[in-house]
Amino acid sequence: MKLYLLPSNNILNFLARIAEDGSVYYPVSENGKTHITRFDKDKKREPDFEKIRTAENIKHFFFPSREVVAAFPDDTSKQAPKQYLVGVKNCDLRGVDVYDRVFLQWEPVDPIYQLRRENTLIISADCPQPEDCCFCNLVGLTPYGEGVSDINITPVSTGLLFEVFTERGAAVLNMTKDLFTEASTAHEKERDATRKKAVKKLNTINERNFRDDIDGRIATASNETKRDARNDCVECHSCLHICPTCYCFLLSDYKRGKDVERVRTWDACYYAAYARVGGGANPRSTLNDRFWNRFECKFNYFNQYEGFYACSGCGRCFRGCSAKIDIREILWKL
Amino acid sequence: MEAVNPYYPIPTKIKQIIPETPTIKTFVLDGMPIQFEAGQFAELTVPGVGEAPFTPSSSPYADTMEFTIMRVGRVTQSLFELKEGDFVGVRGPFGKAYPLKNFKGKEVFIVGGGVGFAPIRSLFLALVHNIKDYKKIYLRYGARTPDDIVYKHLLPQWEKIKGVDIVLTVDVGDESWHGNVGVVTVILDDIPVNVKTSPTVVCGPPLMMKFTTQRLVEAGFTASNIYLSMEQNMSCGIGKCNHCRVGKYYVCKDGPVLTWENIKDIEEPFA
Repeated sequence: MKLYLLPSNNILNFLARIAEDGSVYYPVSENGKTHITRFDKDKKREPDFEKIRTAENIKHFFFPSREVVAAFPDDTSKQAPKQYLVGVKNCDLRGVDVYDRVFLQWEPVDPIYQLRRENTLIISADCPQPEDCCFCNLVGLTPYGEGVSDINITPVSTGLLFEVFTERGAAVLNMTKDLFTEASTAHEKERDATRKKAVKKLNTINERNFRDDIDGRIATASNETKRDARNDCVECHSCLHICPTCYCFLLSDYKRGKDVERVRTWDACYYAAYARVGGGANPRSTLNDRFWNRFECKFNYFNQYEGFYACSGCGRCFRGCSAKIDIREILWKL
Repeated sequence: MEAVNPYYPIPTKIKQIIPETPTIKTFVLDGMPIQFEAGQFAELTVPGVGEAPFTPSSSPYADTMEFTIMRVGRVTQSLFELKEGDFVGVRGPFGKAYPLKNFKGKEVFIVGGGVGFAPIRSLFLALVHNIKDYKKIYLRYGARTPDDIVYKHLLPQWEKIKGVDIVLTVDVGDESWHGNVGVVTVILDDIPVNVKTSPTVVCGPPLMMKFTTQRLVEAGFTASNIYLSMEQNMSCGIGKCNHCRVGKYYVCKDGPVLTWENIKDIEEPFA
């Protein structure tokens, strides 16, 4: 596939140019942390495409933590401004892939998600420096974008190398073509070497793969195994809310004058009332069952539905966990 | 083409409210806001309060849609405060219907408990609508007390239908009661159908489902012929929010009726 080079001195110009078309969100590092930041043409903060995924996941942009999905009697709930997500890592694209299956491919289509997805252009970025929390290689991913996004960029010594995946990605390049030069074979070689190094580092961080029959082992795990796994869990639910692939939600209705708004909020299967029915029965009343449900959902059932794990290997669950429970350790033990 | 918003409920007027027992009422809606088949369910909205899943209790062939509902939680409490002429919202139909084409030419053995009679009534009326298609319909139903029996006013006319066999029981009788006493499994000792080929349908509270299913398995019904109405927390109704998943099945999408074959390997499926 043809590659294009955005020279280093044009990176901010590129962001400024696309910001004329929609809101631009990109990774900016500060005090050792990388956060999703809205591009401000007056501040023009330098992007950081070298670091691993941002502290926040990108699901807010398609599936906000709280949004109106219907209003009645007059339904005026659908709104989605155009936005560009720049520098998204491949682990976070796994989340988008999961959402696309659930909200677009599984019938019926969710029109609220559909609108946001259609109005969002994703420019993914290679992840050249995996850290100890990263395990995308264990869930079938590479540390660089191979699809799902519209464009993928690779940081090289003289700028950013652009690879276009979709027509609307091509349209963006066309809109900004005066900022680009043609990439050379040397750039491509530099990219390949960077990627090889990142893969090697991931393989060093995670020496062992999960077993091929991990789904079956999860399904038949003993109560003792489940208890040991959740032993340190304090039920803070951080792991689920920070997870880029979790998509559970709850619908609630609120009165707004004479109208009613139906609001969708993120939910998490660790909450004790999550599966409880009106009559009071609760199919997952114990923490054992709720904790293990996360493993069943991500590594067993979703794999049965779609042929891949609903886990991105981003390691946010581990980093955000109050008890520092490492999902890899639990899966390796099975 | 723009997709229809699946979260938007259709406003529908309540035409009539029929008290069935001290805690159960039938809400008759004005017309048929949605077309459904027996076994499918809908989400009912109490405006400004929220919504909850219910399976219609009326015939899919009727002109009006009915829901027989027990007051158990926040939404049903608010629903019970509504009056005739008030509006509710309806979303659906969701899930899969009973596979009636598989029931044709066979004896159909139906077991209900408590308010579980509601979806069973819809199935029963759908079967009766084409009664010649079925060899015989057996209905077994248990309630806590004679006062808790739903559709008391309808049972005498159902018993008169040729090709229908109805047996009732109550957990605790009173002076007026001269029938069977005991939980529903006491009327399952005698199962007068060909268990190898007949479909059987169960709907009721979790414990009743558990012990009735055990009894039906012991009696020799085939696992794939035991149809179970699953009660789960169906929030979105369209297989996305994840609340109602039992094993790999979304009860709202793959159910609400699952077979014993589907769920027999799940630990405590009726919890």
